[in-house]
This record gives sequence, C-alpha cells and structure tokens, in this order.
Amino acid sequence: MAREMAMLHDVSRCSACRACMVACKQWHDLPADFSTPFEGQYQSHADLTSKTINLIKMNERIDADGKFHWDFIKFQCMHCVNPGCAKGCPKNAIAQLDSGAVVVDEDKCVGCGYCTINCPFNVPRVDPDRNKSTKCDLCFDRIEQGMVPACAKTCTAQAIEFGTIEEMRELAHKRLEVVKKDFPNAMLYGVEPNGVGGTHMMYILTEKPEVYGLPADPKTPDSVNLFKDIIRPIGHIAGVGAVAGLAGVFVLSKMFGKKGGD
Amino acid sequence: MLVNDKYVPRHKMNFVLCHWLNGISFLMLFITALPLFTDQFQFLYTMFGTATLQNAHRFFAVVFIVTPIIGLLIAREGYAKMFNEVFSFGMDDIKFLIRFPMELLGMHPEGVPKQGFYNGGEKMNIALQMGIWCVMVASGLILWMGSGYLDNSVRAWFIPIHSIAAAIGFAAALAHIYLAVVMYPPSLHGMKDGTITAKYAKSHHGKWVDELVDDGEISQGELKKALGK
Repeated sequence: MAREMAMLHDVSRCSACRACMVACKQWHDLPADFSTPFEGQYQSHADLTSKTINLIKMNERIDADGKFHWDFIKFQCMHCVNPGCAKGCPKNAIAQLDSGAVVVDEDKCVGCGYCTINCPFNVPRVDPDRNKSTKCDLCFDRIEQGMVPACAKTCTAQAIEFGTIEEMRELAHKRLEVVKKDFPNAMLYGVEPNGVGGTHMMYILTEKPEVYGLPADPKTPDSVNLFKDIIRPIGHIAGVGAVAGLAGVFVLSKMFGKKGGD
Repeated sequence: MLVNDKYVPRHKMNFVLCHWLNGISFLMLFITALPLFTDQFQFLYTMFGTATLQNAHRFFAVVFIVTPIIGLLIAREGYAKMFNEVFSFGMDDIKFLIRFPMELLGMHPEGVPKQGFYNGGEKMNIALQMGIWCVMVASGLILWMGSGYLDNSVRAWFIPIHSIAAAIGFAAALAHIYLAVVMYPPSLHGMKDGTITAKYAKSHHGKWVDELVDDGEISQGELKKALGK
C-alpha cells in the first residue's frame, strides 16, 4: 500500500525555466505542441492542451503602486482529495489511487469531456485525435517505484518538492514563514482541506490565488452527486418502468375492450 | 374538400416534414448519448466508436435546433396553429384528460367532450416538448460551447439538467409513439401524407370537423358520404 503523497510548488523559488515542462513531456512521451503561435509572449502555451499537461504560466502584472510583477506558476491537475472529474465520470474511467494521484484509465474513457466541465480548475483536455481525456497523472507509475515525479526530479531551484503529504504540509508551513518576509501577502493553497477536500498539488503563493488564475474557493460541484447517485439510478428504473408500463397498458387495453382506433 | 372522398386534410406536407425531422433527430440524439448514461448500451460505443457517436450527436443537435426555425419559414401555418392551440387550454381539455385513462385501457368512457384540432393530451404533449426543446437546446449549447463564457461551477449543473430533460422528453415520446402506433393507427396517417380519415377526424376531433364544415372547408354532404351515412 502506497503512502499518500503530495507535491509542493513554491512560486517564490520558481524561475520559470520550464525544465519541468520538458521533463513531463519526456516521461509521458508527449510530442512538441505548436498550438500557440508565437506573438512575442514569454509563456510558451496559452493554456493546457492534451499534449501539454504541465504548463508554466508567466503572467505580467502591474500592482496598485504601479510596480511591475512577473508571476510564475506551475499549472496542472491539482489531484483533489474529492475529485469532481472522477465522481462525475459516467464511465468510472478516473480513479484516485492510494498515493492520492487522480488517474485516467484510457481503456474506459470515452472522451465525453464531462471531467473537464466537472473540474473546478478546468484541467482535463480531451485529445482530439484519440478522443481520450488527458491530464497530469502525478507520474503515478514513478511514485509506485519509489521515484519522484519527473517535474519535481528535474527542478533545480527546489521550487517543486515531492514527498508524503505530512512532509509537504510541514515543509509548506516552514517555507511560508520564510517567504512571508519578502512577500507579506504570501499564502498556502490546497494545503489545508478546502472545497475540494484539499489538493495533492499544493502551492506557496506570493499573492492571492486570483493573480495566478486559480479559483479562490474551489469546490467539488454538488451536481456530480445529483447526476451519479440520483439521476442515473432513477433513469435506469424509469427506463425499465416505462417499457413495463406501456406493456401493461397494452395488455389491459386488450382485456378491457377493442382498439379505439376509429 | 375531402381527399379521395374519404380523407380530411390536416397537416401541410412541410409541417409533416418538420415533425419527422424533429422526431428522428430527437431519437438519434437519445440513442447516440445512451451509452454515456447506461452501460447496457456500451456496445454502441464499441460498434461505432466513441467519436463517431459524439459527432453524430452534434450533427443531430444541429438538425434538432434548426428544425423549428425552418418550420417557422416553410410551415408557418402549422406552427402558428400549434402555438395557438397550446395556449388555449380549456375546460373541454380538462374533461378529456380526466376520462383519458379509461380510454387508454380501451374502455371508451361516456361524456368525453368533442375535441378541437388538438385534444387535451396532445396539447399537453406539445407544451411539454416545447419546454423540453428549450431546456435541451440551452443546456446542450452550454455544455457544447459554453467553455470560457460560463464558469465550470455553473456549467457542471447543466449535465444533470440535460439528462433529466432528455429522460422526460423520451418518456413523453414513448407515450406519443405508443398512442400513434398501437392505440390510434389512423392518426399516424396524418403524419404520412397529411390527411386523416373523416371517420377518425369526426370521432376524435369533432369540434375541429364542425369548424371545418362551418367554414365551408368541407361540405356536410361529402362528410356524410365519407362517414357512410
């Protein structure tokens, strides 16, 4: 039984070198992705794609005092404790492993895209060619062999740390104290349980989450429970019931009288 | 004028066309989405491929959305009639609905009031399907291309809404098909060439036939002849 693991991205240490993006592509054997044309921007890709499941966002910002900031963040699947994608998947193709990694089973996936809609972070991308949902899998195959995910392994700035969830929580609190000296607005994100139960992808942010395009208060949608626990079972019963009902009416109408056709 | 001394003209052919476009696209939408809802139909994905069914779903969605818009252009009369009838739900319709369960069991109850162009049940079905159309189209479009316009916390709600609407719409469609095919096959004729027998019209849409006679659309004489009196 694997231990519950977590990844911590300390944005204050990130230099946006994008080595983690390359390492991710290498381990997952993902091709180069030319989906975003170069228009003079620093950020490599406008958004996550089915070929780019780990993205360093580089956002330029001018604060209230007119001071320029360059905000970097590593964006990928958050590996929620209560993953909306897995709960809302009509084919049960997404599972949460003991390590905490939320992983798509491509054999079961039908590419419907419900996972994307049910994700509070809008992460999964359906690959247009294979019609399969894709996203970061926390290198679950590496973790199970006692290795560190490719992105964390390659990070030279120690901005990406990986370990057991307890270790990462402790490290996050310890580092936050240090970071606060330079960034008074610094905060932890996903470390403590939140609307998605907490995340196995944790952050030390130097500004509030909105600055990085993260929802301040992410929440596993209530509608996933409605769909899976209530509507689908009732739909199944109603489907059988409708056919049985019509058959019953048919038999009764034969018993009670002749056809009312004319 | 009766057609072939026997049939009352009921629907224009363009309206008949719209009916079948709507019916077939709805059925195909239901079938192409069914394996997502229940694993018993997983074989459809295996047979045709997931992308094929999903693209077919989008294709028939366009047909489903466009049909009433085309209808307002080429079958304005039929659609106008439908709207007018639905919003003129009266006492006769309620009396009809109260006695209909017995009729459904083949017991021909007494005291069913003469019905107009559409009877109380048909009016209910039309009103329901109009509502379902609006919900299906709105929720479907939000799921299909709402990304970027609506936050996922809102969009996620449209998955169960789309499913519920589809289930209710299909249940109504089942009843509609049962009534047309099993209970009243002569009514089905109206959706073949747009005419129904005078006999069926007289017994099921008496008020409408009276109106036709009053308006001089059909004469008393030819009606009597058609009814074999």
